[in-house]
Amino acid sequence: MKPATLNGIAVVRAIATGALSAVEALQVAIDRIEATDARVNAFTGRSFARARAEAAAVDAKRARGETLPPLAGLPYAVKNLYDIAGEVTLAGSTINRSNAPAEEDAVLVQRLQAAGAVLVGSLNMDEYAYGFTTENTHYGACHNPHDLARITGGSSGGSGAAVAAGQVPLALGSDTNGSIRVPASLCGVWGLKPTFGRLSRRGSYPFVHSLDHLGPLADSVEMLALAYDAMQGPDALDPGCHALRVQAVSPSLHAGVQGLRIGVLGGYFSDHATPAARAAVATAAAALGARDAVEWPDAALARAAAFIVGASEGGTLHLHDLRTRLAEFEPLSVDRFIAGALQPGAWYVQAQRFRRIYRDKVNALFKDWDLLLAPATPVSAPKIGTEWLDINGTQMPCRPTVGLLTQPISFAGCPVAVAPMWPEGTGGMPIGVQIVAAPWREDLAFRAAQMLGAAGVAHTKSALCHAGLDPASMPHTPGSAAMDPGSSPG
Amino acid sequence: MTDEEVLSYVKASAVALGLRLDEAQQQRVAVHLARTAGLAAQLAALPLRVEDEPAEIYSPLPFPTSFAVREQL
Repeated sequence: MKPATLNGIAVVRAIATGALSAVEALQVAIDRIEATDARVNAFTGRSFARARAEAAAVDAKRARGETLPPLAGLPYAVKNLYDIAGEVTLAGSTINRSNAPAEEDAVLVQRLQAAGAVLVGSLNMDEYAYGFTTENTHYGACHNPHDLARITGGSSGGSGAAVAAGQVPLALGSDTNGSIRVPASLCGVWGLKPTFGRLSRRGSYPFVHSLDHLGPLADSVEMLALAYDAMQGPDALDPGCHALRVQAVSPSLHAGVQGLRIGVLGGYFSDHATPAARAAVATAAAALGARDAVEWPDAALARAAAFIVGASEGGTLHLHDLRTRLAEFEPLSVDRFIAGALQPGAWYVQAQRFRRIYRDKVNALFKDWDLLLAPATPVSAPKIGTEWLDINGTQMPCRPTVGLLTQPISFAGCPVAVAPMWPEGTGGMPIGVQIVAAPWREDLAFRAAQMLGAAGVAHTKSALCHAGLDPASMPHTPGSAAMDPGSSPG
Repeated sequence: MTDEEVLSYVKASAVALGLRLDEAQQQRVAVHLARTAGLAAQLAALPLRVEDEPAEIYSPLPFPTSFAVREQL
């Protein structure tokens, strides 16, 4: 029986052993995209011809007896702010349609191609990455595969949805204030926002130069680690890339957390979380043996500063188009872009001066702690079109509030892995838990994530089964067979 | 700032930046900017010393590991 979805790690292993061809794996992904995307709306571009050529090249390599690279034959997709050679980089806009096609792939796409991965298309997002909901007016809202009436989160909503819907086991996103972590949380997939400056951003359409990160979302911790390792490396041509060498996380993935000092963020992170979000963190903390509450320094100020820096740089970046093509902007974010462009310089400078002090305080915190846990979102996925959220009795505007718990951490630049959790009280919807480490210590966050996965408290779930589209698909559990859904442990 | 002051600021600064906004959009932008002003006020209350420099400092060239600066250019 032909399976409906792919398990990323199992696919890579099956292709490596010859049990599955890359062309066969690709066809499963294409069939799944074609069967589901009319309702999910994750894909804005499909590069199936390129994908078939890349998959055939993998199979040819194997036929020649050559050693296959680590991601050989793995289908994946990218947020549509990544350059794809020969295609226009939309960044969720219609304005960019008048731009010339990209001359070459983004650096991370080049690195995944070198690792053997197969690019199947580009993914929906909030226009110019300014949003947490992926309710894109131009290309349509992206729908959460676990409940099509709900948002995916954003701005990498297509990336979260594509993995959650089983369309691809791996997707790339970007995270300025939470845009990988929010959709990972609301779609119930694994995500990584690396250390600021870890991965090259060259060949991606920027939102906020001072804050932009790129990173992966995946169907398992192992998949996330394998992809992350394949994308690492210095890039002297990207002024925002500070990494000088590869620090692979896969070799230490199963090292466990014994001896690590793990705390739970209280204060701001607890006050702005609903009971379900706090329950998700409590479950993760219990599994990791974390008992102590920890106060993150100046979280509210950091959120304010991140907002100001983001709005100012983002608005200024688009000032020319705001002058000349105002009517073509996304109505849900254009007023915020304008307000950002109009901000007094003093606000911006004060925020950047605060950031340096803040960084020192956050780094000092990690002298006492190795890992800190917090909810990734205050709530599970709201309905599409929601304007207001009730957070512990306080009415808050939905679209900015969804990122309330991610902004302070990315403003410091710390790496964060998001573990998909399924607390009670959400109607079966997920809420992710942020596993935060000191800068450049992604390895520790991955070890804890792996523990949560192994303990069975964090995992992805099949989606769209209820629609009769995917009766054979099972949860994406590490080690399950790539094309034999009946063998998955469930 | 009062609501009226924020709106006046939006109108004046939009002109300074060459943005042509109709009245409804000026109002909407002012609502957003007023919200941001509240965030900015929190930061403004933070005492900073003159030596507290911004996080991002321009560097003309990475500091040389040897005297061979020419090789880095």
